Amino acid sequence: MLAIETRGLTRLFDGKPAVQDLALAVPAGAFYGFLGPNGAGKSTTMRLLTGLLAPTAGEARVLGVDLAASPLAVKAQLGVVPDGLNLFERLTGEEQLRIHGQLYGLPRREAARRAGELLEALELSPDAGKVVQDYSHGMKKKLALGCALIHGPRLLFLDEPFEGIDAVAVSGIRRLLQDLVARRALTIFLTSHVLEVVERLVTHVGIIHRGRLVVQGTLEEVRATGTLEETFIRAVGEARPAPPPLSWLAGPGREGDPEA
Amino acid sequence: MSARLGDLVELRLRLGWRRLRGRGGAAEGAAQLVLFALAVPAALVLSAALGLGSWRAARAGGGHASIALGAILFGLWQTWTAVGVTVNERDALDLRRMLAYPVAPGRVYALGLVASLVGDPFSLTWLLLLGGVVAGAAVARPGAWLLLLALALLLFAAATVALVALLQELLARLARRRFAREIALAAGLAGWLALALSGARGAGAVRTAFPALARLRWILYPPALAHAAVTRLFAGEPDRALPWLGLLAVAAVTTGWAAYRVALEAARTGGEAVLPQPRRTRPAAALFPERLGPLFEKEVRQLARHPAVRVFALALPALAALVGWKAPVRLGGDLAPLSQALPLFFLALYVHLGLQAFWVNPLAWERGGARAFYLAPVAPGDVLAAKNLALLACTTLVFLASETAHAAAAGWPEPWAVAGALALELGLAPVLYGLGNLVGVLWPRAAPVGAQRSGAVSPLAALAGMGIASGATLLFALPVMLALVLDRLWTVPVAWGVLAGAGAIAWRLTLPAVGRLLARRREAVLAAVTGDEV
Repeated sequence: MLAIETRGLTRLFDGKPAVQDLALAVPAGAFYGFLGPNGAGKSTTMRLLTGLLAPTAGEARVLGVDLAASPLAVKAQLGVVPDGLNLFERLTGEEQLRIHGQLYGLPRREAARRAGELLEALELSPDAGKVVQDYSHGMKKKLALGCALIHGPRLLFLDEPFEGIDAVAVSGIRRLLQDLVARRALTIFLTSHVLEVVERLVTHVGIIHRGRLVVQGTLEEVRATGTLEETFIRAVGEARPAPPPLSWLAGPGREGDPEA
Repeated sequence: MSARLGDLVELRLRLGWRRLRGRGGAAEGAAQLVLFALAVPAALVLSAALGLGSWRAARAGGGHASIALGAILFGLWQTWTAVGVTVNERDALDLRRMLAYPVAPGRVYALGLVASLVGDPFSLTWLLLLGGVVAGAAVARPGAWLLLLALALLLFAAATVALVALLQELLARLARRRFAREIALAAGLAGWLALALSGARGAGAVRTAFPALARLRWILYPPALAHAAVTRLFAGEPDRALPWLGLLAVAAVTTGWAAYRVALEAARTGGEAVLPQPRRTRPAAALFPERLGPLFEKEVRQLARHPAVRVFALALPALAALVGWKAPVRLGGDLAPLSQALPLFFLALYVHLGLQAFWVNPLAWERGGARAFYLAPVAPGDVLAAKNLALLACTTLVFLASETAHAAAAGWPEPWAVAGALALELGLAPVLYGLGNLVGVLWPRAAPVGAQRSGAVSPLAALAGMGIASGATLLFALPVMLALVLDRLWTVPVAWGVLAGAGAIAWRLTLPAVGRLLARRREAVLAAVTGDEV
């Protein structure tokens, strides 16, 4: 069974394609790494699949349901950590998690219990009473991950989840995600720039370039002809030469420096 | 290395230009032009009237000038609050964000203050009024003294902006502190106790107390010092005006510097460093079904932590008490029975106007949280309903506190007046909120989280908000006129109750449609509120 299936999924901005004719096939229970250079269409794809954007053309079935036809039924089973996060900045961390759980239909008491467990697991307990506005970027990321997990989703979307998080926290979150996938509890769709992290985590890979899906398969299939990095560079274009040195930083005289 | 002032101005102009060129920018620009087109002619008419007064005062000189100019400056003093709430355009150049750059923060702050004075239709109105004073005086008595007069009025404007900025910074800082509400409540109660013990109630007592109160005017120094200086200038005594001008300049600079230091400290410490710890509260959520409950709880918490709401909730009851104590309404003839009720009716209206940004731009402060409304399985209509109900709870509490404060100072009004005021406060809500939802979905804008009000809505939404408030006021004024004609004032609360019921039904029936619009416009809304690409 496919957790995500798209056909001809296209999104134009001002007539220019951000995502074009996308045909994703993400098996249920997969840890799917969605890769691409900056501006390739990763975040747009994720926003299309979570209902934040409407497609210009094509269709998307998520967990077997047409997203456009039954958005609320689909959303109830998704957990999302979007680019830019989805946190109410003037709630405390504890309130954020609990209210998020309640929005997904959990009873208040159960949502509060799970919020406590998540705060512990994500090492946010000491800051549970602080408003989110005062959290660091990394803490916000962890909290957003907690919000995405609190209702026990079947499908998790993570947009650059490790960006801005320290190495220790990355390791903890990685173990948590791997454990969730290992138990076949959920499917994860993840975008990241960090190929090393993706390579150690995922079971399936898709590479998008200029809005088009250029590679898709299991990790083994994709690495059949080289490392993931080599495949990635081949898919999105040859390595570029180093840029020329910057004139005002190159020489000892530093001509043109306003304080010179 | 430091950036020039010109760079900051360019940054500000470019940001403004980008906004105009973006989606809906042309309509926003047109609405801003309409606002200016409304404000400037009105200001010119008033300016001409003030110019005439100034002309007469300059011709008469001496004591006459004192009375006329006292009236002028008193009028300006009355508008002082209005100027004050417009002082927020400096948020466009966020001090906290600018600290990362090699730009002198003092320049950023000063530029923000200047921009707030000239970039807003309403503050521009007051500047034009001051221009009228100078013009009238110039026609009546040309001479070098006019330079000093212009200087005095400019210093008055600068001092007003500086003082308002300082008060806003201090209030916002107070509102962020833990137990701020409790301390304010205690101070309010102590004030009332002192008032009750002094027995200073009734018109006679107010007249007795007036000379003492007059001495307190120096606390609000801009009108007091400007009045002292300008009166002497009109009397033909420029040498005696100079010390007052000097004092005004020193006070303005000192106040501006203090406001800047407070703002800088807030920016350096993150501005929100001291915030309340969570408390175990009873779930208001239990009152509502399904997702509406948690949405309502979230809205109530956000409103309770918003500096603008806190400042308003502290200021309005105090203002109501002051009005009840110092300026009781006295109407003659057929309108006499309305005397007691009018302040309450005004409070019922003003509580909605004061928090207009929250019903005309309900998504303004969500930031990234707005994404959660679209990601979670919640009906968009519930999102708006929760916002409206939470705001209604908030306005009703502030209204009741203000009405109680007013009644404590002016005496309890008749029951029909109390019932009428409550019916008006509750009855206006569905009309304003229902139409406000539509405006908020069509023209949303991200707003800074601060104590200031203006700038929290787009020009289009501001214009629409003015129209909605005017229309609703007119609608609710009709029963009053009818009751006066029939001499049956008790019919006012009944009629308002009927209007409230009809409004609530209309709000409920239209909510799903506005919710669907919110869902359809998700890309535009997220672009405006979170900055997501579209």
